[in-house]
Amino acid sequence: MSRALTLLLVLVPLALARANPGLRDGMATIPAGVHVPLSRSVRDATEVKVPSFRLDIRPVTNAEFLAFVTANPKWRRSRVSPLFADKSYLHHWSGDDALGASAPADSPVVNVSWFAARAYARWVGKRLPTTAEWEHAAAAGYTTADARNEPAFTADLHAWLARPVPAVLPSVGSARANLHGVRGLHGLVWEWVDDFSTAMVTGESRADSGLDRDLFCGAGAVGAKDTSDYAAFMRQALRSSLKGNNTTTSLGFRCVEVPPTEPDSSLIP
Amino acid sequence: MNTRLLLAPVMLLVTALLPAQHAGHHTEPAAPEAAANPHSQHQELAGDAFTSGSLYQLEAAFTGDDGRPVTLGSLRGRPVVLAMFFASCTYACPMIVADMTRIRDSLPADRRDRAALVLVSFDPRRDTPQVLVRYRKDRQLSPQWTLLHGDDGAVRELAALLGVKFKQEADGQFAHSNLISILNAEGEVVHQRAGLKGGLEDATAALARAAR
Repeated sequence: MSRALTLLLVLVPLALARANPGLRDGMATIPAGVHVPLSRSVRDATEVKVPSFRLDIRPVTNAEFLAFVTANPKWRRSRVSPLFADKSYLHHWSGDDALGASAPADSPVVNVSWFAARAYARWVGKRLPTTAEWEHAAAAGYTTADARNEPAFTADLHAWLARPVPAVLPSVGSARANLHGVRGLHGLVWEWVDDFSTAMVTGESRADSGLDRDLFCGAGAVGAKDTSDYAAFMRQALRSSLKGNNTTTSLGFRCVEVPPTEPDSSLIP
Repeated sequence: MNTRLLLAPVMLLVTALLPAQHAGHHTEPAAPEAAANPHSQHQELAGDAFTSGSLYQLEAAFTGDDGRPVTLGSLRGRPVVLAMFFASCTYACPMIVADMTRIRDSLPADRRDRAALVLVSFDPRRDTPQVLVRYRKDRQLSPQWTLLHGDDGAVRELAALLGVKFKQEADGQFAHSNLISILNAEGEVVHQRAGLKGGLEDATAALARAAR
């Protein structure tokens, strides 16, 4: 009996390590790869090389964001500058520093602006993922690196896209992990990326203000690389429609580890 | 040995061998960030309160073409004509510079020199302060012009505040918004001129009001 136990104690950590050695500290190692931008500009690079990086397994939760707001009062709902977060910032919380029934502690935080997400990331010593990093990590299915080959995954993804956002979001742990061990890249909330402002629907550089674009403009689909990838197109459309202070009921974020050699580029006040 | 003791490791093993569900054992402990975080001191406000609409709340660090560190807040008190650009741009950016000059020249003579003309590069890699020195020389820009270099984060945050979108393309050129912003003495955006077409009347009127 005790031999069996010993065997198990040896086997279990081994099995865990074999399953995905990159999972630790709540982050997963995403292997290096290539991101093919969904883009229409003929001058765009057709491929972006993505070096390996470490990504949060789950999106940032209400509880985690509450800790940040508590420690940084200027990011309270009542104090934040309208330049950095619009009126619906954290409006599903019951108070300045209280979550309430609409914001379960372990649900992904939403109604956060890009500026707020960046400030949080900086506070925990991380940063937001780039578009290429996020898309590369999210390209994986449950069991393969390219989810387009996984009908089960695609079906789940499209089912999520078709569902309205629930009034109360589920726990971040409820989403099934993808190949890399990352949860909820699809199926929970949309997520901010650091370079969201590089998503331009028209790609027109001469007279493009980027200021008054309607939400979810359909024009971008025309020149898209892969028009069958609806979800990727929706993300592109969403990013191109956003301003840095915008907040929505289905937009959250997660963070990427900043290696010691990478310069800290976050300069939020 | 109690069989119940064994149950937990067995479950662990079983779960671990199911490829898609292993991550449950690796979820991090809940929110340790509040306790000890060395980054939190950066988050406090500078003290002298800018207005809630002031761009100068952005404490991003820029470098002038003279090599000195510059924060946008140092422009406080002056009317500002500001645009983002990149020095190797041959099409829109020279027109933006020309338009900014015309907007400035529209001010009454006695107030013309108070305005600050600010160009911030969104090409941190190529537009070093040295490159900006050359740009100033080539374009014969007077000391009234401030040419700023910032790192990726500073540039992205300023661009996000202004609503400027930009993207580097494979050939190194940038696709970008053409946007000239007029700031009042508090650093609030009081007017933005988008695109290259059309008159400058609204921009010049906004600057004249800001210069009062």
